[in-house]
Amino acid sequence: MDIKEIQNLIKFVAKSGASEVKLEMDDIKITIKTGSEDKGESTTILQQIPVSNPIAQAAPVAEVQATVPAVPVAPPADENSKYVTIKSPIIGTFYRKPAPDKPVFVEVGSSIKEGDVLCVIEAMKLFNEIESEISGKIVKILVDDASPVEFDQPLFLVDPS
Amino acid sequence: MHIIKLSAIDSTNSYLRQLSAAQVLEDYTVVMTDRQTEGRGQMGTQWDAQDGKNLTVSVLKDISFLKIQDQFFISMAAALAISDVLKYFGLKRVKVKWPNDILSENKKIAGILIENVIKQNQIQHTIIGVGLNVNQTEYPDLPQASSMRLISGNVFDLDEVLNKIINKMEHYFTMLENGETKELKRLYEKRLFRINKPSTFKDVEGHLFAGFIKGVTDSGSLEVLLEDEVLKTFDLKEITLLY
Repeated sequence: MDIKEIQNLIKFVAKSGASEVKLEMDDIKITIKTGSEDKGESTTILQQIPVSNPIAQAAPVAEVQATVPAVPVAPPADENSKYVTIKSPIIGTFYRKPAPDKPVFVEVGSSIKEGDVLCVIEAMKLFNEIESEISGKIVKILVDDASPVEFDQPLFLVDPS
Repeated sequence: MHIIKLSAIDSTNSYLRQLSAAQVLEDYTVVMTDRQTEGRGQMGTQWDAQDGKNLTVSVLKDISFLKIQDQFFISMAAALAISDVLKYFGLKRVKVKWPNDILSENKKIAGILIENVIKQNQIQHTIIGVGLNVNQTEYPDLPQASSMRLISGNVFDLDEVLNKIINKMEHYFTMLENGETKELKRLYEKRLFRINKPSTFKDVEGHLFAGFIKGVTDSGSLEVLLEDEVLKTFDLKEITLLY
């Protein structure tokens, strides 16, 4: 088998659409993989770069530096994720009291448990009592009494711990 | 049907709500009272009723089959049930004034207060409070209020009226559970006060405008055809029908 034959064979395999051909003869063993598996190739290259190229090695360092300024931003995100946001399931008017002359359902600092009523959302004269799905403490009330709310609008921040 | 009769209570809706939180109640559990000391209309409006002369009840219904955005169909079912009963007892020109006041001969004789319990973005059950003026004959300072007796001249048995209401509620809630929302809406719109009649409305700024009520949307907004042939939908807070 000469080099010309091997080239032709490679062209033939490439045209055939096969992704891999293994050929074994007396004293020769050929494996042809076509470039159709791009992902595999590029992965290999990426793995090699840090080893063979000192410039590429600098990249991870740069990344570490890049994450450093991001750290001060992270804690508020962490703190928010510590809290659970209770959102409005419907469009309507948000009420914190069962009736105008009654005390509010919950205040900031109130301990709540699952099943407690947090507010009423009224839509077309249907009064919807919204029950808590979690236990915890009210951290923030995000909507004023008797104001309109949209679907999915955050109503309460609850600290579940 | 399971009836709990109380001689007096602050609010039948609140009582039933508390009871439902403490124990599992069967569908159509009813709380009935002769005297409601803190009866509520819509968020604080007083409902003035003489002791023992009217039907003051709350009805519990499991509604967990209903999607939250379809909750106005609860209103439609309740309004249809009560207006059916009034027709059955011979009252004339029984209409539903959007969204859920019941009129006969242009006077209000029943009000409905619906309270849902929502958990995990799903309605668990609904409590339908009904205040129906039955045998009361005086309504000082309420020129637009009346009763079954004043309109028909007859005295009615409260238990009999209640039984009919529950029967009708069962009928309409079965329709709802079977997904017959189109039919429910068609029946509700057919009974709407001033539908397809030239009417005057007041907007939030106090401006008057004319239009024809054409129907309601699935979410309960009122569809009004305005003078320039524009069909506009209104939320409850945006519009008052003058009559």
